[in-house]
Amino acid sequence: MPEVQVSGLHKKFGDVTVLNDINFTIREGEFFTLLGPSGCGKSTTLNCIAGLESPTAGSITVDGVPFVDTAKKLYVPTEERNLGMVFQSYALWPHMTVEANLVMPLAIRKVSKEEKAVRIHEALDTVGLAHLKDRYPHQLSGGQQQRVALARALVYSPSVLLLDEPLSNLDAKLREQSRAWLKRLQVELGITTVYVTHDQDEALSLSDRIAVMFEGNMTQIGAPAEIYERPATAAVAAFVGSCNFFTGRLEETRGGIARVRLDNTGLVVKVASTLALSPGDAVTVAVRPERLTITPASADVTGANVLDTSVLTRSYVGSRYEYGLKLGTNVVQVISPTGNLDGDVRLVFDADDALLYAGSNVPSAEAQELMTVAS
Amino acid sequence: MTTTSTDKAVQPPAGRSILPAPKYPRVFGVGRGRLVQYGIFILLALFVLAPIVPILYQSFRDRPLYEAGGLLTAGNYVKLFTDAGFGQVVLNTAIFAVGTTVLTLVIAIPMAVLVVRTRLPFGRLLGLSMQWPFFISSLILGFGWITLYGPAGFISVQLRQVFGFVPWNLYSLGGMAVTEAVGLAPIAYVFCANALRQSDASLESAARVCGAGPVRILFQVVVPMLRPPIVYSSILIFSMSLETLSVPLLYGTPVRIEVFSTFLYTNGLQSISPDYGILGAASTLILAVTIGTVAIQAKVLKNAQRFISVRGKATRPRLLDLGWIRWVAAAAIVIYIIFGALLPILGLVFRSFTMIFTPLQNPFDTLTLSNYQRVFTFPVYVQSITNSVVVAAVGAVLVSVLALLAVLVARRSPFKFARSVEYLALAPQAMPGIIVGIGFFWAFALTPGGGWVQGTLMAVIIAFGLRALPTAFGSIAPAIMQIGRELDDAARTSGADWFGTFFRILRTLLRPAFVGALILVFVTMMKEYSAALFLSSANTGVIGTTMLDLWVQGNTGSVAALATIQIAITAVFVAVANLFMKGHTDA
Ligand SMILES: Nc1ncnc2c1ncn2[C@@H]1O[C@H](COP(=O)(O)OP(=O)(O)OP(=O)(O)O)[C@@H](O)[C@H]1O
Ligand SMILES: [Mg+2]
Repeated sequence: MPEVQVSGLHKKFGDVTVLNDINFTIREGEFFTLLGPSGCGKSTTLNCIAGLESPTAGSITVDGVPFVDTAKKLYVPTEERNLGMVFQSYALWPHMTVEANLVMPLAIRKVSKEEKAVRIHEALDTVGLAHLKDRYPHQLSGGQQQRVALARALVYSPSVLLLDEPLSNLDAKLREQSRAWLKRLQVELGITTVYVTHDQDEALSLSDRIAVMFEGNMTQIGAPAEIYERPATAAVAAFVGSCNFFTGRLEETRGGIARVRLDNTGLVVKVASTLALSPGDAVTVAVRPERLTITPASADVTGANVLDTSVLTRSYVGSRYEYGLKLGTNVVQVISPTGNLDGDVRLVFDADDALLYAGSNVPSAEAQELMTVAS
Repeated sequence: MTTTSTDKAVQPPAGRSILPAPKYPRVFGVGRGRLVQYGIFILLALFVLAPIVPILYQSFRDRPLYEAGGLLTAGNYVKLFTDAGFGQVVLNTAIFAVGTTVLTLVIAIPMAVLVVRTRLPFGRLLGLSMQWPFFISSLILGFGWITLYGPAGFISVQLRQVFGFVPWNLYSLGGMAVTEAVGLAPIAYVFCANALRQSDASLESAARVCGAGPVRILFQVVVPMLRPPIVYSSILIFSMSLETLSVPLLYGTPVRIEVFSTFLYTNGLQSISPDYGILGAASTLILAVTIGTVAIQAKVLKNAQRFISVRGKATRPRLLDLGWIRWVAAAAIVIYIIFGALLPILGLVFRSFTMIFTPLQNPFDTLTLSNYQRVFTFPVYVQSITNSVVVAAVGAVLVSVLALLAVLVARRSPFKFARSVEYLALAPQAMPGIIVGIGFFWAFALTPGGGWVQGTLMAVIIAFGLRALPTAFGSIAPAIMQIGRELDDAARTSGADWFGTFFRILRTLLRPAFVGALILVFVTMMKEYSAALFLSSANTGVIGTTMLDLWVQGNTGSVAALATIQIAITAVFVAVANLFMKGHTDA
């Protein structure tokens, strides 16, 4: 199973730069996800690998075979790349039966009749649709169409599987089931897979590694846990999972612990940090809701950071509670297993529970506004 | 891809090897797709430029092309603009073309929406009849209208007897525009109807779910989807009416209303010593208009992507119910069909079997076959009938294939001159038949070896074919825009090259559009005659040129007979083609 190497990828449409120096390497058999908000260039990256777009600059190599190298003016056309691709709209050929859809790539490869039959049966069996091979696409449900599209992409044993938001047209329940199914399938086949999505849950649960993109830049590449636990930037923290952000100024850093005076309350919190910053610098503190603990105001607590707050809202979200706490002008989101807290409470977290980023630009001004109350 | 597979890899089925990617042959380092794309581009360029270049050249020359020792001059243009009547000609043309276009759209769009997307009484039948005025040439329609509504027409005379006056004057710009619009409306109708038939019903369902009533859905969801076909057809119709010869010639000559085409006709063909310089200069002016319209079209259709509504995900269309309005709608369509086309044509057919056709005398008293006899006693007239059929049949195939390839290159290829291919294919829109005729005549005369083609049917096919190319292109292009690009992309990733994608996927999806183009081109070329006015030799005339000859001679009975024959041929062809289509597109 091949390795995919993308280096120095640039893409411009006219004057607009859509991809800006994208680099990554996908290992053999890996499930690799391109994650990012709409319009960040995920599909463009995928299309460059597929050969449906040609990059303005950069090179792409699969299994040691160069597909594109702008420096050498090399470009292998899509049809000679032997990749399997599933499109967001599935792109099943509407005038052909399921079987005929699967025959096409095999016919192009001049496969013998017997082998065609075996391969098609295997591919349809893999997606559990062998009994529907004589149907036309419009006679299938969305979920079935999606699985046929996958079977069509797998039937010729492509070297790499490319998936562009294949689940986004399915309803939530089916999407969740398909996700689990897709993951099992990929592990079973061990095929190198590049997956594009803007859905963080999908990315986290499916991927071996995730590459997070913003506006044509690759911000972080890492395993799901790494992306979630140690987001490289505040933007990543905000996009993957939910996160509270507080702006403040650095007082001092000692022994890997930064003391930050928060803008909202003037209180000082301690945050573990390895950033090289000097006192007075503007910083942003980020804490995930589930890393915060709430205790009643009366209880004795120990912890690096103990802040006095009060409960604004409390809602039951199934198996746990979501609190909105007032901290200065900010609303702090907290996930907690206990549901009986009210009035004045204390917010507790360790220095390790929070993340520190340089600069005071919170990722989404709009979201931040929603999280603001009058003091 | 190498065949070393780790144990994690997809195992090829026992005894079978991993499938390698297909390899496509290269010629000089380019794939066959690129070769085809260049081929089409060059062929189109030659095809379109062949008649234009001699005309442009002529427009700046102080004497006819074939005379040696000419000088380059702008004198022709000066002469054209100082010609006292020319300003009036331009004005007449503008009024006529705009009027025709507006009237055509007013007739065609509501009818397409009503027939295709609503429950209409006898909807299928109306839809089919709605199309058939198109199958009649505007020359024949003009004859028919004169027969009924002209100053001495059957209905006019009848009305004058009852009321003492006739409430219209056919021999006017308004009369021309109405007649022309009735004849051209089916073109716009077909474009709109095709787009509506293919558009995604889930959009409508979405609107319905949002609480929109049927009328609201029509205006907010269905009508906007029609933008590409409307733009295509209105530009097509505008330029067709810029250059149409028949109706202005028939109606305008007696009352001396001149438009562009009749100006060219009288100056180029009727005058004893034609001024070729003026001809070239006037033609060049029309070309400027063409470039303008095509530019507008390109601009309006820039966001064409937005209108893609058939994607890989399949859905089925559904019909809206308009309540009592549908009866009004059906009645309007019936009136259009009966008074616009059916009666004039029936009148003309009836005329062909009588000596005299007027309400003042019972026409049944003068029934005769002598009109047909006259046609069939002259071998040249008979030959013109077979010529028309051959030209239309051969031309339909050649032009449709060329148009299909041009659409693929223009709309579905990474070819760097894709846009130019589109411009080239659409450019003949505003090249009046007479100009095309003159242009090719000069081109054949000037090119070595052109003499072999000059005066043959091939020359006629080439000229008519060029004129029909935009029609074919325009009928296929919207269809391809309705096919989501991802279907191509899926074929490419599956291993089909550009050419293979067409042969394996698009060919079938485009078959209805292609057959539609075939029919359209056959009928168009059957009706065409103006380019042949210049190009035909004595025995390569077509029905249209013969009819015009007979009309000028005052043989209206024989004109009616020939018209009847042409209608019969067209009707038989279309009927057969429709049967064939039914059998082959119900996949
Ligand atoms: N053909 C094109 N011409 C011009 N701009 C384009 C073209 N295709 C894409 N873009 C632009 O490139 C950017 C990235 O597009 P891309 O389709 O890669 O986004 P994406 O990350 O896949 O988004 P989504 O999640 O919405 O699919 C967008 O801003 C888009 O507007
Ligand atoms: Mg995308």
